[in-house]
Amino acid sequence: MVPAYLISAEVYAALFALMAMGLTLTYMTTKVPNFAYGDMVLLGVYSSYATVKIYHSDPYVGSAVGFVVAGLVSMAMYLIVLRPLARRGASIVSLMIATFGVDIGFAGIFGIYTDYLTNAYVFNDAKEFYTLGPDFSIAGYPGIDFAAPVAVAAVVLIIYLLLTRTKFGVAMRASIENPPLAKVLGINVDMVYTSSWFLAGGLAGFAGAFLTLDLPLLSVNTGNDLIVGIFAASVLGGLTSIFGSAVGGLIIGGSELLMTIWLGSGFGYGGTIFIAVILFLSGVYSVRRKTRQSKVVGAILAALGLWVIADIAAGLPVDFLAPELVNGFGSAIINPFQVGIPLVIMAVALLIVPQGVFSVNFRRLLGLEK
Amino acid sequence: MAFDLVSFAADFTSFYALYLAISLSLNLEFGYAGIPNFGKVLFIAGGAAFAGSITGRVAAWALGVSKGDYITNNFAIMGQVNQLLLGDPLLTIALVVLGLAIAGLIGGIFGYVMSYPAIHLREDYLGLLLLGMAQFFQIVLNTYTPLVGATQSILTPNPFYYFATLNVNDLVDVVYAVAMGAFALLVWVYVERTVRSPLGRVLRAVRDNDDASSALGKDTVKMRRNALIVASAIGGMAGAMFTFQVAFVGASTWTRFAWTFWPFLIVIIGGVANNKGVALGAFFFVLILKGLEQVQPYIAPYVFNTNVNFIQDLLFAGLLLAILYLRPDGILRERSTQTLPRQELDKIMGTEEEASAKKS
Repeated sequence: MVPAYLISAEVYAALFALMAMGLTLTYMTTKVPNFAYGDMVLLGVYSSYATVKIYHSDPYVGSAVGFVVAGLVSMAMYLIVLRPLARRGASIVSLMIATFGVDIGFAGIFGIYTDYLTNAYVFNDAKEFYTLGPDFSIAGYPGIDFAAPVAVAAVVLIIYLLLTRTKFGVAMRASIENPPLAKVLGINVDMVYTSSWFLAGGLAGFAGAFLTLDLPLLSVNTGNDLIVGIFAASVLGGLTSIFGSAVGGLIIGGSELLMTIWLGSGFGYGGTIFIAVILFLSGVYSVRRKTRQSKVVGAILAALGLWVIADIAAGLPVDFLAPELVNGFGSAIINPFQVGIPLVIMAVALLIVPQGVFSVNFRRLLGLEK
Repeated sequence: MAFDLVSFAADFTSFYALYLAISLSLNLEFGYAGIPNFGKVLFIAGGAAFAGSITGRVAAWALGVSKGDYITNNFAIMGQVNQLLLGDPLLTIALVVLGLAIAGLIGGIFGYVMSYPAIHLREDYLGLLLLGMAQFFQIVLNTYTPLVGATQSILTPNPFYYFATLNVNDLVDVVYAVAMGAFALLVWVYVERTVRSPLGRVLRAVRDNDDASSALGKDTVKMRRNALIVASAIGGMAGAMFTFQVAFVGASTWTRFAWTFWPFLIVIIGGVANNKGVALGAFFFVLILKGLEQVQPYIAPYVFNTNVNFIQDLLFAGLLLAILYLRPDGILRERSTQTLPRQELDKIMGTEEEASAKKS
């Protein structure tokens, strides 16, 4: 029997790969980090919810619905919001603020929609619900354990074939590499971008619907909770490579769950001490560097590490390590590690390998090449 | 319920002043220095959480209140502290000053730490990192009990408690408005003086052309870092002011919608890098926000009895996109620097009439 946490890490990693691939597609076309991407995932989550609860259908049908709905919404977002702004020569920061605005708009839309579900269908769990079912099962394992990795493999294969074997894929690559030249060659760049946004939103919605089979608790905040990890995965992949982001997604999704579990419950206090020591050592390393700023930042990090160690030594309960904190209202709070880990990976990746993991010359790293 | 004009006006003013101060600090870093701080809430919440948590402990220690653990028995301890503070106005003022100092310091430290990656990163990557950090800090607040009691929230010393005990109608609201207004005025004067000074012109130069200004001998890294530190410190202090007003601090208050998006909205509506525009934008923003609160009972039945906050979210999103599309520079666009008031210049240079008289 494979340990349960390994399986959930595998599913989580696969779903992250799907989401990161979509986000990267939007970044490659418009060069804007899409802050509203979490809402595309949430569209998938609620497509699945509506399919299961209202039409009593299968969550896997919901994933198809989620693909189409989120794809169309994402496309609409590109056509209505981003393209007109970009055509007016808006800066990247303006476009980022615009996607931020769309994110807020979606918060309103989901709020009203869940209120509608509560009022019209008397679903009391519309704002916060547990894993949906029924899922089929193979050899005692839930179907999602197989469906998620298969879906990732299929999507990677399809995108690979699309990009290399079809005229559309070649046009897409050309439009991303050099839009003016692609236009000169008669490629409809707008159409290519629009369909990229459809595909990107579709992947998010698809993954979102799968999440309803995997996560223990989903809510209108699920998109917000995931967005940091998705960005981290995309950054790790270099933000400009679809397959890189798939790998980044696997790394982030996997490490997020595994490290949370290992550090949180597996080692108990050992995990905290580990983190504290790492903080302290990186602080000391930073202090020894030349610039004054790295000295100060290092001192702060080292102090933070000492503080955590002192906390443990004083016998204080280190609450943030409790694996599943549940507050009085019955909603599970995400362990801070779970967002902290991808965040740390993202920060390190941004500072050390801003071009993504694939920009690292591994042959050189291993000494095979001078 | 009768409409209480005084209470509404006071509430409006204190809210306006709070958001004016925050937006001005955002304008300093985003408008003038060109750092898109998508993690504004991190600095505000940091200042508020530390100020609220530490002043409460200091007050309990200074007044000799000991009822066990500060967090678990927070309500009992703070209840007694606030009663004792009634007879000790000097300590109350000292606590407020201490809280503001802590908040400024924490905001500044956070700004300093965050400026470390900020200097090295492009604006889009930086936005991602700041947003992520803010999200992370929110989760820390939600789970790390000693700071603000995790989800439980803690009470802080209430410096306005004395006015509430006087039993005069709306008095406490008016006092809030005066206090917030004074704070916002100070921030206004500071930011306005800074951006009009030679430093302000250097900040704009660094924003507009990094290479050219460094070629002219300006330390661009230092300029941007200092702008982020100062703006974050002001943000932290604004957070502390808000904490003292509501007299409690918890994790759930600090959403990135209310403390990052709204300030951005205000700056975009009013005009990037134009403080007068920001003042105007904040006014329109608060007008919509408070107006919606007033009409809430009348519109809710038509939209699935939903919370008015959701309608407000939609409205603000639409407003932001409309402004970005129709008037990307905001209501008032950026103006070239006015160095000195006209009269001062006239005094130094002589008026135009005098000049033309001299010519002829």
